[in-house]
Amino acid sequence: MASIVIIGGGWAGCAAAVAASQAGAEVLVLEKTDMLLGLGNVGGIMRNNGRYTAAEEMINLGMGKPFDITDRAARHTMIEFPGHSHASLYDVTKVEPMVRRLLEEMGVKIRLMSRAIDVIKKGNAVKGILMADDTIVEGDVFIETTGSTGPMGNCLKYGNGCAMCILRCPSFGPRTSISQRAGVEDILGQRGDECYGAFSGSCKLNKDSLSQEIRDRLNREGVVVLKVPAEDVKPEKLSVKVCQQYALKEYAENIVLLDTGHAKLMTPFYPLEKLRKICGLENARYEDPYSGGKGNSVRYLSIAPRNNSMKVEGLENLLCGGEKAGLFVGHTEAITTGSLAGHNSVRLALGMPLLELPRNLVTGDIIAYANERIKTKEGLKKRYTFAGAEFFERMKERKMYTIDKQEIERRVSRMDLTDIFNEKLI
Amino acid sequence: MIGRKLECIDAGSEYCPCFLAETNECITCSHLQGKEFCDCNWRGVCIYQEYVWSGHKSKGIRKSFPVAVIGTNNLSENTIGFKLGVTKTLARELDNPGAYVFLRDDDKPGFFDVPMSVMAVDTIKGEIQVAVQLRGAKTKALTGLERKITVRGPYWNGILGQRYLKGIKDGNCLVIARGIGQAPAVKVARFLNRGNNRVKIIVDPGKIGVVFINEFIKDLHCEIEELDLNSKQGIKVVKKYLKNVSYDLVFSGGSDKQHLYIIQEIDRLENKPYIVVTNNSEICCGEGICGSCSTRIDSGVRVKACKVQLDVRKAIERRILNNG
Repeated sequence: MASIVIIGGGWAGCAAAVAASQAGAEVLVLEKTDMLLGLGNVGGIMRNNGRYTAAEEMINLGMGKPFDITDRAARHTMIEFPGHSHASLYDVTKVEPMVRRLLEEMGVKIRLMSRAIDVIKKGNAVKGILMADDTIVEGDVFIETTGSTGPMGNCLKYGNGCAMCILRCPSFGPRTSISQRAGVEDILGQRGDECYGAFSGSCKLNKDSLSQEIRDRLNREGVVVLKVPAEDVKPEKLSVKVCQQYALKEYAENIVLLDTGHAKLMTPFYPLEKLRKICGLENARYEDPYSGGKGNSVRYLSIAPRNNSMKVEGLENLLCGGEKAGLFVGHTEAITTGSLAGHNSVRLALGMPLLELPRNLVTGDIIAYANERIKTKEGLKKRYTFAGAEFFERMKERKMYTIDKQEIERRVSRMDLTDIFNEKLI
Repeated sequence: MIGRKLECIDAGSEYCPCFLAETNECITCSHLQGKEFCDCNWRGVCIYQEYVWSGHKSKGIRKSFPVAVIGTNNLSENTIGFKLGVTKTLARELDNPGAYVFLRDDDKPGFFDVPMSVMAVDTIKGEIQVAVQLRGAKTKALTGLERKITVRGPYWNGILGQRYLKGIKDGNCLVIARGIGQAPAVKVARFLNRGNNRVKIIVDPGKIGVVFINEFIKDLHCEIEELDLNSKQGIKVVKKYLKNVSYDLVFSGGSDKQHLYIIQEIDRLENKPYIVVTNNSEICCGEGICGSCSTRIDSGVRVKACKVQLDVRKAIERRILNNG
């Protein structure tokens, strides 16, 4: 039996757990907070633009379970908002318990409030993970999905200080870069001005603090677009954010609210006093980050160099997924990279050749493309997502973007990869 | 693992960040070691945040101030007990195992400051008690002080292995104290007792010549046994206890040689109890600045033993090797 240890229980870690478990391994997830999904507890946007294609590819590759949950937990489907089509918005208050139950049913062991702080190595292999309580967790293969966000010192140095986001570093302690502790230097993302890191791209308002009219429209339509007073339009703010798919003029001139259970405000932060000048937001207050009037979490400060099978370079038995694996944005991207890391962890434990997804699937292309681009100076300033910016343009140019489910099924089947993530290897 | 992370006893306290942060020598925070990104040994607060918010400066330092000597007591020929009237705040801050203060005659210069374990605390009255063994210039200069004495504190790193001490509940514990090591053992025994642990105390008068802690622990209902830990018989009894009783934690208050001996005995056991020991480094400033307590650990790193909760085994073995 292969024993796989996953460090970090966000979307990437959970997807890795599902994939490794489907391949027949014994899986343990170590998570520093008291909830799985990490930033997935405040996200919620799925299937917008090219994410639709990617989600369907993953389902056909055998990773239907996470998407089944996000589809079932959707408050709205097939909605349109500036620059985005056919999005579904999952209810952030429902999805974490659903994922937790799924993992438990699959026999995945989950250790919450368990923070990894260091690595025990033997040669170039990871032998164990040192935990904050001084215990050591051993395994055959390790997957790092610790993300690249925070902790407090980084958010202060490269942002506006701790904004009290869902990661709750002050309560549960900071993320540790496992690969860096193992001696492999982190890669750092940059923003336009070559400063390190980038702000998370959205904050969330408490829905009950909004006017009845806005609440009703959000519940009914999923989207509300409000005009920003002319004196408060700040297009330069778009350059600091992670989500280049939302760095459009419309997002500077308007307030775009999406209904994910909270009212997701598509801007990294917005001073509360200015926000309350907008009609219907007179009593608004933040839900995540709590200090969304001042700042947001800073990301992309800890990326591991890896190959296209998600194995970290320079270490024999460490794989990575999610933001740890590149300048990715979004849950779909985390699930994609995490799934491949999870599946390959079992192959690695068995001494089998590792799987690379072909580049004529969008999931394979984004993994390889982001890896090429991260090696360039310009590429470090970009973000890679199926939902917009550079990569979505590429999808369209290569005629890969489609929402035709049969076409996507045919593409995966042509590669002879249908249900590959669902195959038992052990 | 790249470089061992050290645990600073002062991290997150009101004296943190300290002077070391200003010179990029912080024991905990990677930013305040001159690095670009977070890789700290998290102690519950972000020290970098505290540093930036306090205007890129260290926080207030511990001040020296004269306090009233409420009473003195000749515990033995070479040992004086002092009862001192301090502020209630300081008394509260010293109500911890491992707490110590610096003492000196107010008429003497600062380098007469001598660290002394706090043996007993009355947080209601604002009083502390210490036992001073007269050994060298600094301790002997305290004799005859009956009205005022200058105190600097609070300091906390008088005991190594505090995380084990603070983590143990409903356990079975052995406290071994010899000579002046009796003084810090009092707070250890009281702390363990409060955590509903069963505590047995072995005490050796050592060079002090008397057992002076009975009155401080009489309300604890611990089993107390007096032994000569340097005699064959004494060693045999300690060995017997360690072998026959399954202890969760053993405290050693005494010399490094005593610590080493107990550690070696424990290492022979199948179920090894946690080890907590007195910090016997030569502590001079207590602030990680002067270098007198500097200890080289096996990775070649020099650590400031006045602030760092060193790994007990490494600290002791290193000092014994260096001295030998």
